[in-house]
Amino acid sequence: MVPRYFSRHLLAATFLTAATGSFASDFWPAEYSFEETYVGEASVSRGPHHVQDFDESDTLLRLILTPRVKLGVLRLGFQYEQFSFGLSENAPLPNTLQSVAAVIGIDTQFSDSILVRLETTPGVYSEAFRPGSNVFNMPFEIGGIYIYNPDLQFVVGVSVDVERKYPVFPGGGIRWKFQPRWVLNAVLPTPRLEFEWNKNLTLYAGATLKETNFRMSDDFGREHGIPKLDHAVLTYSEVRAGGGIDWKVTSWLSVNAEAGYQPYRNFDFYRASIRFHEDGSAPYGMIALHGAF
Amino acid sequence: MANELQLSREEAAKWKGGNGALSGAGGDFWIGVLAGRARAFSSGGTAAQPSYDHAGPAVRPGDELNGLLREQAKIRKQFAGLLDGTGIGRGAGSLKPDLYWELLNADDVAVATLGASYSRNSGGNVQAADTFYYASGGYYVTLTLHQMWPVDVNGKPHTLIWRGDMVSSASLADLHGVEKLGSESAMMKDIAKSIALFRRESAH
Repeated sequence: MVPRYFSRHLLAATFLTAATGSFASDFWPAEYSFEETYVGEASVSRGPHHVQDFDESDTLLRLILTPRVKLGVLRLGFQYEQFSFGLSENAPLPNTLQSVAAVIGIDTQFSDSILVRLETTPGVYSEAFRPGSNVFNMPFEIGGIYIYNPDLQFVVGVSVDVERKYPVFPGGGIRWKFQPRWVLNAVLPTPRLEFEWNKNLTLYAGATLKETNFRMSDDFGREHGIPKLDHAVLTYSEVRAGGGIDWKVTSWLSVNAEAGYQPYRNFDFYRASIRFHEDGSAPYGMIALHGAF
Repeated sequence: MANELQLSREEAAKWKGGNGALSGAGGDFWIGVLAGRARAFSSGGTAAQPSYDHAGPAVRPGDELNGLLREQAKIRKQFAGLLDGTGIGRGAGSLKPDLYWELLNADDVAVATLGASYSRNSGGNVQAADTFYYASGGYYVTLTLHQMWPVDVNGKPHTLIWRGDMVSSASLADLHGVEKLGSESAMMKDIAKSIALFRRESAH
């Protein structure tokens, strides 16, 4: 007799579930997240120029409908992100970076082993929506997952953004459940080592990598004493490293809390060859609500 | 007694504590549960199966099977002639099932299951239905349907087989979007692997 082995992912398989089927027939399935991060006071520098002791608030809101179609699962929604820095008026950096974008994508199966995601986020990536900064941009990404087995998957992908210094940027990682309660989820931009304390509580340690391009307003440079930064493109990037917990409160709501350190931060006006990088790090705390239904 | 165990309140009340393994008192308890449910199936199909309700909202195996089939109207229609004679999603049918039990690994947990197999030969076209109508955990019910046709390939007799697998599980409700796609892929790979194994073994 062939032994039958049912893993959770195998069981969690299928187009044929009574539970989700009846629910999905009434509503379009969706996933959402609301995330707020506070980073304590830190500094950046550019040669002898220092911008000191400013804090950061990062707010992220995302709602994506995920209806099932013949080709796979559509991803249709929007996302909003705002970085607010506690900078002084004379600082040569933007106090607020904001983006609002649609999310248009699809997850589809190429074979029993390969899943592919195509997704674009067309929108405005601006300096506080000020005049001249509301320029449309449409970064997109293509990623693939190779499912070796339910416990091991390989991820490769490429991100494309014409406003970026290097417009095409590769990425990838591995998701490996190497013990029943341990998962190495080393996939960018949030590589993690996860421990499933119980069905509803996961502890993790890992990092979050962020990089987004924003357009400055028409007079940003003149207002901040560096005229060539008028209408410039800023690549803002940061890395956070820490630990957190993810508590599944209900089937549609999870609470995520995380704390750690921000070891890397970079404001790069790369076309103007002006770059401010971290000069002292700071602790951070994050709380998020997320889920799917 | 763990809340994850899928039992009725009446069954759970018979638990006398101690080690839940299949030895000693634990073994007696599980023999009682499995024998009772197998008798209920023989006499009244899945309609006679007690609910899983000892630690939460009632889940009825018969309703789950009917729900799976309701989601696949074409498959249900294709197999109506067979299913109408079984105890799957209804009372005891006219067809006699082959009953069995298995101990499985479901998400690294031992799961005791009860199964029933039915088959019907109609003019050379064979249909078969195999259900796990009880599982102590991991999933609620499963249903696998087969249809087999005799075909001739290069002058040699072969069998063309269509197979459909359905699973109802609480963990399915937690998956969305790409996770669900990934699960489907993993299940398809697992089934393809078992088919390849079966073909290799049956070739000897």
